[in-house]
Amino acid sequence: MSYSETLEQAISTVKHQAVQMQRCLQQRKLMDALKYASIMLTELRKPDLSPKQYYELYILIFDSLSILSSYLVENHPKGHHLADLYELVQYAGNVIPRLYLMITVGTSYLKCPDSPREEILKDMIEMCRGVQNPIRGLFLRYYLSQRTKNLLPPDLFEFNANFVITNFIEMNKLWVRLQHTGPLRQREQRTRERKELQILVGSQLVRLSQIVDDNIQLYKDQILPTVLEQAVQCRDVVSQEYLLDAICQVFPDEFHLVTLDQLLNSTLHLNPEVSINKVILTLTDRLKGYMDRNEDDDSKKIDNNLFEVFWNYLKNLDEERPDLSLEQFVPLIESILGLSLRWYPNDLQKLNILYKFTTKKCKDYGKVIPSELEYLFLNLLTLKNENESGLLNANFYYEIVLQCDSFRDLLSIQSVALQRNIVSKLLDIFLQTSSETDTQANPSLVIDSKTKLDSLLSICETFIMDKSSVSAADKRKPQNDENNSNGIRTKNGSFDKPVLVNNNEENNENESSWKLDPDQEKLAKLCHLIIRSINKSLPEKKNIELQIELLFSIKAWFLKGGKNIKYTFPAIVTNFWKLIRMCHLLSIRSKSKKKLFYENLIKQLFKYASRCINDLFNICGSSFADSLYKLNIQSASLADQLSLGEIAYDFFSQAFTIFEEFLNDSRTQFQALVYMAQALQKTRSLHEDTYYNSLVVRCTLHSSKLLKKQDQCRAVYLCSHLWWATEIALIGEEEGITTDFYREGKRVLECLQRSLRIADSTMDNVQSSELMVEILNRCLYYFIHGNEHQTHVSVKYINGLIELIKTNLRSLKMEQTDIDIDPQRLSELHLDDPTLPLDTTFIIGMDGSYINVSQKSGPAPSITSKLNSTFLNEMIQIPIQHFNRTCEYIYDQREVDDRFKVIVI
Amino acid sequence: MSLFFKSPVDIEILLDGEESRKHVDVLNSVGSKTLKDSIPLYEDGESLSGMVTLRVKEGKRVEHLGVKISVIGSIDMIKVNSSGGGNGGSTKRLSASSSSLSDSRKNPVEQFLCISYDLCPAGELQHAQSYSFMFKDLGKRYESYKGKNVDVSYYAKVTVIRKSTDIAKTKKFWVNIYNQVPVSPAAIITNTNPRPTNSRLSENSDAVNTGTNDNQNTIQTESSLRKEPQPVKLDIGIENCLHIEFEFSKSKYSLKDVIVGRIYFLLTRLKIKHMELSLITRESSGLHSSNYLIDSTAIRYEIMDGSPVKGETIPIRLFLGGYDLTPDMSCNYFNIKNYLSLVIVDEDGRRYFKQSEIVLYRTR
Repeated sequence: MSYSETLEQAISTVKHQAVQMQRCLQQRKLMDALKYASIMLTELRKPDLSPKQYYELYILIFDSLSILSSYLVENHPKGHHLADLYELVQYAGNVIPRLYLMITVGTSYLKCPDSPREEILKDMIEMCRGVQNPIRGLFLRYYLSQRTKNLLPPDLFEFNANFVITNFIEMNKLWVRLQHTGPLRQREQRTRERKELQILVGSQLVRLSQIVDDNIQLYKDQILPTVLEQAVQCRDVVSQEYLLDAICQVFPDEFHLVTLDQLLNSTLHLNPEVSINKVILTLTDRLKGYMDRNEDDDSKKIDNNLFEVFWNYLKNLDEERPDLSLEQFVPLIESILGLSLRWYPNDLQKLNILYKFTTKKCKDYGKVIPSELEYLFLNLLTLKNENESGLLNANFYYEIVLQCDSFRDLLSIQSVALQRNIVSKLLDIFLQTSSETDTQANPSLVIDSKTKLDSLLSICETFIMDKSSVSAADKRKPQNDENNSNGIRTKNGSFDKPVLVNNNEENNENESSWKLDPDQEKLAKLCHLIIRSINKSLPEKKNIELQIELLFSIKAWFLKGGKNIKYTFPAIVTNFWKLIRMCHLLSIRSKSKKKLFYENLIKQLFKYASRCINDLFNICGSSFADSLYKLNIQSASLADQLSLGEIAYDFFSQAFTIFEEFLNDSRTQFQALVYMAQALQKTRSLHEDTYYNSLVVRCTLHSSKLLKKQDQCRAVYLCSHLWWATEIALIGEEEGITTDFYREGKRVLECLQRSLRIADSTMDNVQSSELMVEILNRCLYYFIHGNEHQTHVSVKYINGLIELIKTNLRSLKMEQTDIDIDPQRLSELHLDDPTLPLDTTFIIGMDGSYINVSQKSGPAPSITSKLNSTFLNEMIQIPIQHFNRTCEYIYDQREVDDRFKVIVI
Repeated sequence: MSLFFKSPVDIEILLDGEESRKHVDVLNSVGSKTLKDSIPLYEDGESLSGMVTLRVKEGKRVEHLGVKISVIGSIDMIKVNSSGGGNGGSTKRLSASSSSLSDSRKNPVEQFLCISYDLCPAGELQHAQSYSFMFKDLGKRYESYKGKNVDVSYYAKVTVIRKSTDIAKTKKFWVNIYNQVPVSPAAIITNTNPRPTNSRLSENSDAVNTGTNDNQNTIQTESSLRKEPQPVKLDIGIENCLHIEFEFSKSKYSLKDVIVGRIYFLLTRLKIKHMELSLITRESSGLHSSNYLIDSTAIRYEIMDGSPVKGETIPIRLFLGGYDLTPDMSCNYFNIKNYLSLVIVDEDGRRYFKQSEIVLYRTR
């Protein structure tokens, strides 16, 4: 009998014959039905079908044969005897239809109570050998498996197991053989087809797992060895990978625990191309899952050998398979690491063993680890894949860093860039989790000794290091390699380049000295974290001593970072400040001897802080002057608050030195002076030895020497406050009650007059008017806060000022132009929004720049320092409106303060 | 011829218990149509009895010189041999009488059985008259056979002898001979291969089984009928290309037997498409044996689909009972032999085959 030409024809033939067969069955014409069934089955002989197409036919036929089968069972033995039919169908001339019919009849016979089950099963599986074509054979045996599924004799475990194993072995052989059929160029297609068919083979393992049920002994002694032997012997990559994976997936965890040795050892004998790590990963995932599933049960059942088994395996593997690449090996180690974490979460020694092993592997590797493999170590060292569930907290990582020497060793042999990357990730974890959890109640890492600190910081070493020097070193390395390999040709280039690179980087460094550096920021945060982590339950004195010790240690480590200390040292200085405050508190509380100790300690601490600032100055120099200036002033303020005038003065003088020598930019100077002024105004301890006076005078002097008139003007009127101390409620001062405020009204007036002169001489008349209004505001401030006698700011003076402003404003208005005349603005107006008039508003900034704030939510405000005649009309509004607001204020004040009634507007 | 001239006497032969007797369906190719004749079955030594009825037309008288019944067994052939004109005379005479019995192209070459006696003396037939007849314990040497070139046929014949043309009527019956001791010892291997094919299978260990040990084989096989049958193992192949072991349970099978065996692939470099087993019946006929050889394939049975690898064993199980097979036969004029043939077809359509003689015999 022959089969159809095309798949479509085949399908229609199958359907047609199936209908005929059923009709005959209804008429109880069994012989005819068998004839149609056999014609139908002939279609399964069709060659050149893809697995999917063949499956399509198979499914159709399977259903039809099910109908036939149930008919056969119902009518046995009245209509026919199945033993006779079993012989009868064997007259079919072609092997495929014959075997399908045999299996159909045979399995129907199995359902009958008196059948010789074992004989039938043996015969069927033996006869299946007649089909040696891979696809057809696989489906035939799958059919056998499906049909016999629930019909195996219930009490014969071994027989059943052998039956399924035999079928499995033959199926696997056919499956492997498929790879080698057809022309060589279709190899990949074959592999694809095999992947499609793998489920048929895998189904046999599923059947096995059902048969074996919970008979662990049967599995261990017979099933697993046979299956593994088959897998190993077939030497086929696809098959081995699939089968081992399937074994791991299909059988229960308890079985794997018992047979771990066998399973692992078999992987030593696989085809070298098989990726062992996939197999191991599946297995370890299973075993990890086992822990999850059995969390509630008595987990004491845990076989404590688990790690040993894996560890021995790893050593064996290392010996037997020296060809395995790092790419294969490291994920394998990682999966075992993960397993160990899950099973022995507290046993860091096991991790250490694994890290040590990895370190050895890396060293054996000999060469520089290529960058495309670096992710392996990143994963391994940050436990990236294990931490997905967030099980591991900062404390855990911290413990690893502290306790696993090999972790540090492994880290240290990685490339610098990778080390930085890893450390950065670790720091993220430390910082992140510590900010999340309540640090007070349950600190994530506890550092209580210098050794611990050192081991923690030692991993950060590359991270601390100057990035530019590191990257330059990194860049130079490959270039040298290149040079070696390429010989003389590149000699010139390779010598020039590094120098150039360095220059560029240094230039960059100088230009943008304050680039935000997230990495260094992390270090700074780490510094705080470390200090915060110190056990609070220690005696105060011990605590402070430890803090100082740790800070010195941190400082020593950070100092290796070269210029990077500009990011990290401020954190140290801040911590010294904190310590000073703490000591101060303690000294207040304690008596005599102890008090003295603390007072001395405070002085000492100021020296440490100063030392840090000096280091910063020495290493970073002028590029960092602004921050140094501020650090000094802050320190001075602190010293002042603790009534340490001498120290405060010293810091202030340091600040002035920096100001005079390094702060050259006019804008920075202005800001610096404002900063200085506000710090000085709050000082209380400098009045002895006329420190205060000299500092204040110096400050005002610098203010009047600023480059721009407007800066001069503002700085000077701000300096007027230096002669007019105001209350600081925190230290118990109160206006009206405290009598010893440092106030010299005459000097105040002098400053105001001086600034007014400067304002008047400013050429930009908008700016000039604005400045005058600002001075008016200042005057009103003094007018409110003191009587004329004290402040020397009299009504007369104010009225004169108002008059002057009015005059100026009038002349400004004369400059105002008609809006419509300006063509440029028209066009702009038109462009932006034709329906609404563009309402441009300007305000003036602290430093005197004009800021264009569009009222609509449009583009970001633009800032100009120059008067722009295009927008003159709007700019004029700035002083006018400011003046109007001031006048309104005066009006309002008249209600509460009669003195204001004298002011003429 | 008898259709044109209506016979004056109508002869009817009825065998005793014919209705209840087992019948054999035999292909009867008359003209282009193939019809099946159902013929009663007898065996060796069984008596043949029955009733002959002669009828004449109403009012007519038929004179005759006597009525004779005979039982005849004959071997008929189409071609005897080219120089076989020696007994042409007798052939001619016989052919006239047996023209309606069997294939008209076949001519009797020997009547190995011819027994006759008179049913009634010369006289006149006026009414229908019946005579019973009986051949007691009739010996039958050969099986009935209907082949391509040769037939073995049995029939009972009633002849009304007249002055003019005799009137005769025949009645065929079929003979099966059971428990036939296999005639030819299993000369298992024959390398003669008359077909022009590209078979290249050759014996690897032929010395053991062929030629030299012929006599031993005879003894072996005869004794093996009583004892356990020896399995037959053939080690065959093409050098560096295919090497298989072809094994089956025994060399002699009854017609209801099952051939069980296996093919073991020791080496295979062929891309095999499929493999089949066939049973070939070889009829050789003529005065000098093997003058005419005619092979016919009685069974074709696919036993393997696809290409196996080294080490595979392919099972063989072939039930013979369902097929219409001819047991081995041998006589002076012809013999029938059966061969088991293993055919391997590769993907390019080339056929490789190996034949091995087996003996088939009929059992009850």
